[in-house]
Amino acid sequence: MIEKGRISALQMAVLLYPTVVATAILVLPATTGEFAKQDMWLSTIWASLFGYFSVFIAYRLHSYFPQQTMLQYSETIAGTVPGKLIGFGLLFFLIHTNGMNLRDYGEFVTGNFLQQTPLIVTVASMAFVCAITVRGGLEVVARSSQIFVPVFIVLFLFIVVLLIPSLNPQNVSPIMGKGVAPSIKGAFIPAQWFNELFLISFLLPYLHHKEKGLKWAMLSTALIMITLIITNVFALLLFGNITSSFTYPVMDAARYISVADFLQHVEAVVMAIWVTGMFIKISVFFYAIVVGMAQWLQLSDYRPIVFPMGFLVIIVSMWSAPSLQKLSHFSSTTWPFYVLFFLTIIPILLLLTAMARKKISLQSSNVERRKS
Amino acid sequence: MKLLRKTGNRKHVLLLCLIPIFLSGCWDRAEVNDLAIVSGMGINKTDEGDIKLSVQIINPKAIGGQGNSGGGQSGGNPVTVETAVGKTIFDARSKLQEQFSRKLFEGHNRVVIIGKSLAEAGIRKHIDFFARFPNPRLRANVFFTDGKASKILKVIPNLEVDSAEVARELAQLQIGMNVTIKDLLQQMASESGDVALPRISVNKGKLGEGLRVNGTAIFKKDQLVGQIDDKVTRGLLWLIDQIQLSTVTIKPKDAKGYISFKLLRSSTELKPKIKNGTWTMTVNITTEDDVAENETKLDMMDPKVTKKLEKQLEKRIDKRIEMTLDKVQKGMEADVFNFAEAFHRTYPNQWKKAKNKWEEKFPELEINIQSTAKIRRPGRSTGPQGVPPDKEEQK
Repeated sequence: MIEKGRISALQMAVLLYPTVVATAILVLPATTGEFAKQDMWLSTIWASLFGYFSVFIAYRLHSYFPQQTMLQYSETIAGTVPGKLIGFGLLFFLIHTNGMNLRDYGEFVTGNFLQQTPLIVTVASMAFVCAITVRGGLEVVARSSQIFVPVFIVLFLFIVVLLIPSLNPQNVSPIMGKGVAPSIKGAFIPAQWFNELFLISFLLPYLHHKEKGLKWAMLSTALIMITLIITNVFALLLFGNITSSFTYPVMDAARYISVADFLQHVEAVVMAIWVTGMFIKISVFFYAIVVGMAQWLQLSDYRPIVFPMGFLVIIVSMWSAPSLQKLSHFSSTTWPFYVLFFLTIIPILLLLTAMARKKISLQSSNVERRKS
Repeated sequence: MKLLRKTGNRKHVLLLCLIPIFLSGCWDRAEVNDLAIVSGMGINKTDEGDIKLSVQIINPKAIGGQGNSGGGQSGGNPVTVETAVGKTIFDARSKLQEQFSRKLFEGHNRVVIIGKSLAEAGIRKHIDFFARFPNPRLRANVFFTDGKASKILKVIPNLEVDSAEVARELAQLQIGMNVTIKDLLQQMASESGDVALPRISVNKGKLGEGLRVNGTAIFKKDQLVGQIDDKVTRGLLWLIDQIQLSTVTIKPKDAKGYISFKLLRSSTELKPKIKNGTWTMTVNITTEDDVAENETKLDMMDPKVTKKLEKQLEKRIDKRIEMTLDKVQKGMEADVFNFAEAFHRTYPNQWKKAKNKWEEKFPELEINIQSTAKIRRPGRSTGPQGVPPDKEEQK
């Protein structure tokens, strides 16, 4: 096997958490608010259903092929040539998406803090750090996330608690004033973030105790859901009808904090949340890319391709969009279907094929047994 | 560790040394002594329709040396105010930048003062700058002034360092309304879209100048339609549940002199109702008061007396609010009370249909005020002070 390291189920859970939360935490209220208005917190609940489903599919596939990642079992299930094609598509998707993640990260840092700094510098430095981590192996990625995720959660709660005095509970009504439809519409894009949880198919084979995998993955999904509901509810209670008119509502919410006239200007905390979260998110994607690529090309080690893939991801991040407008337009129009196709539809088809095959082979073995 | 030794320690150390290069953020390095810290901004409109932007900048010479030299430096004034004209706020800002040796920085901007000329022309399009440009904060307080905004900024107050700080403190005391940029954006985007801003003015005293929040400016959509004075503003504050520092003085019917009450807390609830096509709004106000001063000879410990006083207090509040409604609802036809939002929240379906007719509906809207006043404590004294017990008025 290409990866020698093993992680615990808890480590897997802390890897998954920022993989969804990191990007979502900043833009989610704006994205869901645009469609769902004051029902945006409901959208998160609908969206999380996709997360549970994704984890479930990944786990079912994993139980058929406990030692393999998606790249490998797609070949086993669909045959060499179609399997390679699926693998190519998936890798292309992962590289593109990670490029976009990296770009998202860079756009936020450049747009809000380092306005004069060239985008390439912020993006490349992040990619470099992630590359070093990924090169260290899965255990290194997992352990760094074990360190960062608690920091992430504490800082997040810090902001949430300080915002409490500025909230106006009336902003939440009317609940479902226009029926359920708006909140479901608003759920579509965040649902795709939840679909990214399918990346656990790259982590499950390397668990110490495989039987705990499903439980922890589900727990992690629940925690993600709770975090995102809190994010949405707080943004909504603070900004009400203007939530979706901000690029990064959570950032503006943090800037609004002022407790007793001296505890203010805490936006650096948001920056810290963003950087730690994105670091893990990009690393997890990055890890999936290099392991997947090595398996696709049947290399014996993935380390040599870490830096080259890193360059590729940087270039994709630069090429993926000319501006933030184009980037967010793409992420809210084309990209959701893109994710849905690679991380939900293909896995479902693979699972169905695998189940059908198993049935057939069971039947044929039964037939053989009867014959003999 | 073994792995580390194998690949070579030196390589890793070198790598570690290279990483900090990325930490410094060289391009965006900003030294405090290269920044001109903006503490207040004022916007007016010129006759040609351009934006006239005034900024109040903290004077580092005067502030920094205060501790040691006792403020006797040539720097003099703690703040300086400069003005420039441009097509937009940002355009005017760039013209201002030409006059300063330091980079303008709005990160600590505390107040935005809107002059009358801008208020009459419409404010919506100009607020965008404060929510888009990275530096300014949504927490800055917004004021209206009946004249030039720069006049307010130029005031050198007695107690605080600069007038922006005075204005912010005044807003937080909630003598008038307390509106931040965020609140203003929300008001403009609300169902009615009508806006109310506190009015600030220069208060000339014998010892020097000060600021005063007296009254409120009422905007229909984003255009100024009228101003209300202190008294009417109190009614508005009751209605929008922002009342905090309040003194109510009443004259009891059956005794000589006045009694003053100090407001402890108050809550206002809007209860919209649609019945058989008629829209009504019920305003429930509950307020708790303490007796602060008693000129009369009434015994404040007597529940019967306080009961009567409570009734009078309630009437007083009702009257205030009616006065406000009369001026703002009937006179200016501006819904700054969030009534539209209240209907939208309780009756989303009916609201959707009647939304376009709200402007006609609002002035005719029937409003019931139901206030409940509770006198909680008599204060430090019980009966009237300085009156022999047998001469207290019995009632």
